[in-house]
Amino acid sequence: MAEVKTAEFKQASGRAIRNPGIQHALDHVMSHFTEARAAVIEADYGDESWESMRTRAAALKSHTIERLDYYLDLVDKNVRRNGGHVYFADDAAHANRIVLEIAERAGVKRVIKSKSMVSEEMGINPALEGAGIEPVETDLGEYIIQLAGETPFHIIAPAMHKTRQEVSDLFQDWLKTAPTDDIKRLCVIARDALREKFEAADMGISGANFVVAETGTVVLVTNEGNGRMTTSVPRVHVAISGMEKILPAMEDLPLFLRLLPRSATGQRITSYNTFVGGPRAASDEDGPEEFHLILVDNGRLNLLKDEVLREALNCIRCGACLNHCPVYRKIGGHAYGWVYSGPIGAVVTPPMTNTKIARDLPFASTLCGACRDVCPVKIDLPRLLLHLRQRVAEGDGVDGPANGWSERAFARRWYNAVKTRKALESSTRLARMLQRPIVRRGVIRKLPLPLVAGWTKDRDFPALAPKPFRQRWREGLGGD
Amino acid sequence: MPTPDEHENKEAFLKRVREALGRSEPILHTPDHASLKTTPPRQEEKVRTIQAKVEARRPQLIARLAEIAGAASWNVHRVNTVEGAAATVAEIAGRANAKSIVRSAEEVFSRVDVDGALRRRGLSWTVLASGGRRRRSDLKRLAFASDLGITGVTFAIAETGSCVITPRRGVARLTSLAPATLVLIVEAEQVLESLDDFFAITRLGYQRDRGRSPSYFNFISGPSRTADIEQTLTIGVHGPGEVHMVLVGQ
Amino acid sequence: MTIKAALCATCLVDQFYPEVGEAAVKVLRHLGVDVSFPEEQTCCAQIGFNGGYRREAEEIARHFLDVFEEYDHVVMPSGSCASMVKVYYPELLAGDSEALERAKALGERTHELTDFIVNVLGVTDVGAASSGLVTYHDACHLLRELHISSEPRALIQEVDGVELQEMAGCDTCCGFGGLFSVKFPEISAAILNEKLQNIGASGASTLVANDCGCLMHMRGAMQRRGMNVRPMHIAELLAEGLGDASPPQGSR
Repeated sequence: MAEVKTAEFKQASGRAIRNPGIQHALDHVMSHFTEARAAVIEADYGDESWESMRTRAAALKSHTIERLDYYLDLVDKNVRRNGGHVYFADDAAHANRIVLEIAERAGVKRVIKSKSMVSEEMGINPALEGAGIEPVETDLGEYIIQLAGETPFHIIAPAMHKTRQEVSDLFQDWLKTAPTDDIKRLCVIARDALREKFEAADMGISGANFVVAETGTVVLVTNEGNGRMTTSVPRVHVAISGMEKILPAMEDLPLFLRLLPRSATGQRITSYNTFVGGPRAASDEDGPEEFHLILVDNGRLNLLKDEVLREALNCIRCGACLNHCPVYRKIGGHAYGWVYSGPIGAVVTPPMTNTKIARDLPFASTLCGACRDVCPVKIDLPRLLLHLRQRVAEGDGVDGPANGWSERAFARRWYNAVKTRKALESSTRLARMLQRPIVRRGVIRKLPLPLVAGWTKDRDFPALAPKPFRQRWREGLGGD
Repeated sequence: MPTPDEHENKEAFLKRVREALGRSEPILHTPDHASLKTTPPRQEEKVRTIQAKVEARRPQLIARLAEIAGAASWNVHRVNTVEGAAATVAEIAGRANAKSIVRSAEEVFSRVDVDGALRRRGLSWTVLASGGRRRRSDLKRLAFASDLGITGVTFAIAETGSCVITPRRGVARLTSLAPATLVLIVEAEQVLESLDDFFAITRLGYQRDRGRSPSYFNFISGPSRTADIEQTLTIGVHGPGEVHMVLVGQ
Repeated sequence: MTIKAALCATCLVDQFYPEVGEAAVKVLRHLGVDVSFPEEQTCCAQIGFNGGYRREAEEIARHFLDVFEEYDHVVMPSGSCASMVKVYYPELLAGDSEALERAKALGERTHELTDFIVNVLGVTDVGAASSGLVTYHDACHLLRELHISSEPRALIQEVDGVELQEMAGCDTCCGFGGLFSVKFPEISAAILNEKLQNIGASGASTLVANDCGCLMHMRGAMQRRGMNVRPMHIAELLAEGLGDASPPQGSR
């Protein structure tokens, strides 16, 4: 499984905030995404309102997740009826083994990959390399970060943090091409390099944006054309999907084909939508001879079994929550330390990986709710974050409380101070005495306490008012 | 026949999913989901309604398709006759200075005499179809070496400015994917209004041909594009960067 | 029929910004409201709830119900505290059907200050007078949980001598988030920085918000930087030019 580096969240966030290149990229790219999304939604092409579409989509996904076993079974039956193979992978290691077995049986030496977040979870590339197979990312952004040896910075735009200069340097190092600052030229370099790979590949590994249970169809939503190459040219096609990406019926697709591109890139529709129903028919001119679909758990069961967290499985991986999140917009994707970032990353990472390693994530949010407003399937992300916070603070029935002593002490102090009026009045009276040495002209410039010291680095902290409101009320404001 | 290792895990996997959802028994009947439960007769009725609508509103739908596609970076060419269509295709090939033209083997070419029009311009082409005679590697090589592809479509969708390509005998996937320039011939009767129309029709097809419906189909809704470098739009990455829609008839 | 309302000061107003409470009382009395202050009030429990301490938060919430449910209306000069009561108490108390009913009933009668003035009292011109360009910050809970955004703006625009000047990103989070601001101070400060830039760029001389959490956060940095913009709670703006805050005869 891809390494979980979330324990370094605070340090990594700090580094991102202090990195002018990353800040510049975030400023530029995020507003591009949010403006494009707003414009395409406002253009309002159809009879159905955006709000109505979201509501229907949320209900449909919840319906599907509540019956996931039924629909997984239906996918299996229909893909096999189409002549494909279906596998149920418990975890990343299991999924990697399946891919390697398929590759070995088919004598595969060269693999091309189109975008798949699940394959990032799996860490499939090192696994393939370990077996002497060369995997090449064909999505331009994924290709760039593959050359750079990095993880994706954003769900939709994995290389958004790279400048054209950095991309040129990468191509110069790896492809021996001449440096250039012309973006069109850089794309041509990538196109030419990858074109040979397309032609020579034995196996294509793709993700899946949706899997239609009724017909056993894997749906890819793309712009570049590499998705089509990956699923058409090599003789073996392996599609990897999280087990939750299912839609029940073919006629459910229009709704999601409208919601996803608008939410993700502000497009009415992407350049390509590819619908894979299995291997080529005997009478087809080209296409893969083998089709394999791997449905992956890898921790999704932990979301499924929690009645509140289950909603997170409705996610269609559009990235809108990232684009609107005040936290993501300052720290970018790498700080989250795993595959998924932004609000959805903060929700799924602790249950899917290990709560203790990722325990900071649910707290790294102001709960502003901007994500919930833009989610095309109306996932109540703040509610899920609050639920995860409770699990950290109070234990989740399996693990005990996982937060630090200073926070537990703070919580206990708060509770004891607000239980009753008397408790409040006596604790604040004490605090007023204690604050006197550090108050200057009504403010505190340096707070020497653990947990809260960070505040005063950039901000003054207010002093407790000499006379609280309740005292003023008693002394006359309230009347006789 | 599933390989032995494929199903060893399925029952255990589904059982865990069931238990996570708080159920001990599997669901045996089709869930109450309208899209799943529409029976073939009702689906046929639905499709007949769509066909009637599409026929009645044909001119508006064609105009809408042209408008949406044009705004999405298609080069849209509207022609009234099949002769005009053939001439337009050849003209596009000429202007593109195409050296290596490929086309599919489809019914539309018996109506639209692209071959004749190309010939008159002194252009040559290859039919990228084998019926099993041409080797897979040859077809691939030819496709990757081509610079202009010409195919028909199975449908066009006005709502999204999309053409639907359904690979089958005579229609190789690579014909509409490998060349840098792509020309698609859309006939008036192929134009649908919406995604809903298309999937209703496709579903009926699936219901009728239980498991033998297309193994693959594709929407093409514009040129290949990316904004992966500095969020700057570049047209033409791995798929065709220049796409032409020749819209025949009204 | 005189409207009677209990003021829930909220702990930040009570202990740090009592002048905001005074201003709220002044405005409400000016509009003819008979204002009470139940002295047993302590906290709405949001701090504990947001930290994940639901057991403790539940107890504090029950205390809130005990203190306030005898009153016709509860008015709170804070969007986040009002949303805690109206939106999150039902979630917090979902396990106890009796407490849940009490919470829902009280939630209906609980309002953030501007919500109360505009939607319960039906007033947009309170009779206040001030001067200058005012820009308004949409506090997140007020905006997205309680859907209050036109009411404060209507009230500001009716203040004599004042012009509302919207800032870019007025509905973007200020980076406070309660516990977040101390647990992740660097991220919080980075978010705040953008907000302050927007405030500065608006050209306004006054910043108004309905939430002392946001204000405490923004004011703290504005003071540190010596920004020439006056941060104030909307209650303070609405109290300007209204006269003194003496209670009507015989009230308590």
